[in-house]
Amino acid sequence: MTLPPHHPPAAPTISDADAWLSDLADGRLAPEELARRCTQWADDPACRRSWHAYQLIGDVLRSEDLAQTLAHDAAFLGDLRQRLAREPVVLAPAPQTAQRSLRQVWALPLAVAAGFMAVAGVLVVLQQVGDGGVAGEGQVLAAKPATGPQFASAAVVPGGAEGRAQMLRDARVDEYLQMHRQALAGSPVALPGGAMRSVDLTMPLR
Amino acid sequence: MSDADADALLVDRVKRGDMRAFEMLVVKYQRRIERLIGRMVRDSDLVQDIAQESFIRAYRAMPNFRGDSAFYTWLYRIAVNTAKKALSDLKRDPVLLHSARPGAEDGDETSRAETELSHGETPEALLASKQIAAAVNEAIEALSEDLRQAITLREIEGLSYEEISEVMNCPIGTVRSRIFRAREAIADRLRPLLDTRGGERW
Repeated sequence: MTLPPHHPPAAPTISDADAWLSDLADGRLAPEELARRCTQWADDPACRRSWHAYQLIGDVLRSEDLAQTLAHDAAFLGDLRQRLAREPVVLAPAPQTAQRSLRQVWALPLAVAAGFMAVAGVLVVLQQVGDGGVAGEGQVLAAKPATGPQFASAAVVPGGAEGRAQMLRDARVDEYLQMHRQALAGSPVALPGGAMRSVDLTMPLR
Repeated sequence: MSDADADALLVDRVKRGDMRAFEMLVVKYQRRIERLIGRMVRDSDLVQDIAQESFIRAYRAMPNFRGDSAFYTWLYRIAVNTAKKALSDLKRDPVLLHSARPGAEDGDETSRAETELSHGETPEALLASKQIAAAVNEAIEALSEDLRQAITLREIEGLSYEEISEVMNCPIGTVRSRIFRAREAIADRLRPLLDTRGGERW
């Protein structure tokens, strides 16, 4: 019977799974690791106990009267957690960094260039119109209210004899408006007893 | 990385809204804050209340902490002001005045007489604290010279890893390893004392 070869015990090495708490205690944890480690600390009771032990060791080395039991410290944190749960989450504004990112450096010149291009584009279109292009002189650009009855689609076309613009719309709209005017002509809608009623033309909301 | 800068990572994380980072700072500083307030207020329940209020105020004010001073300096100032306000309120409220008597109001961290019990502090709790302190001291004595020197320079002298590296004439990676191994060795001795029912609340 042959014995397996004897291997001397390996020299103690730092396991990252344990050493990050020591690194964090000394402020040497990589910043990009911190979010993940905070989650680990919250999820793993063993991590919290080790963090407490490390901090307690430091306190006791500096002053023995800082020695405290885990039960006491855990009760303190437990009570504080209940109070913190009622507090709004603090969020500090991100600090202004002196060195702007590449994206920030290019943002302003690009915006200016885009503005110039937009203005140039408008000028080119207007120039074409002035030269007898698609749009006539004095084109009316009327803003249509965002609310109110939408009877039919309407379009503005140039070159009308009156006002140099002509509104094209569904003929049924004109009929409807004509009938409406006739119905209301000369006499407002009256209620029994002589009270006046205003007529709201807006369509009811469903 | 000085001791004052060691909190910068966690403070920054709290400012981004991470409550867990604040809890880690609480675990780090709660004993020092309690002792500080215990110098000013004798009633242990009131010490707890004021310490909790101090941390709540610090949490609320965290967005205003610019890092001009170390975090613990800022926190101590909040704790002293909170204790002074509590004492002022107590003087105006004769019903509560009997339960807490003010001590020193200058916030000085002088040591408490070892035989002196605060109101509400049980002899059992005091004994357990002494056992913890004794276990830490025994564990330190049992460390190898390299580990003991590294953890002492870091925790007591407050030297940075770079400074310890110069003092001990070894690479920073070795300093990191020695400090971690020293902490683990001491923690191993502490764990039987710490793993009580209180640990269930963690």
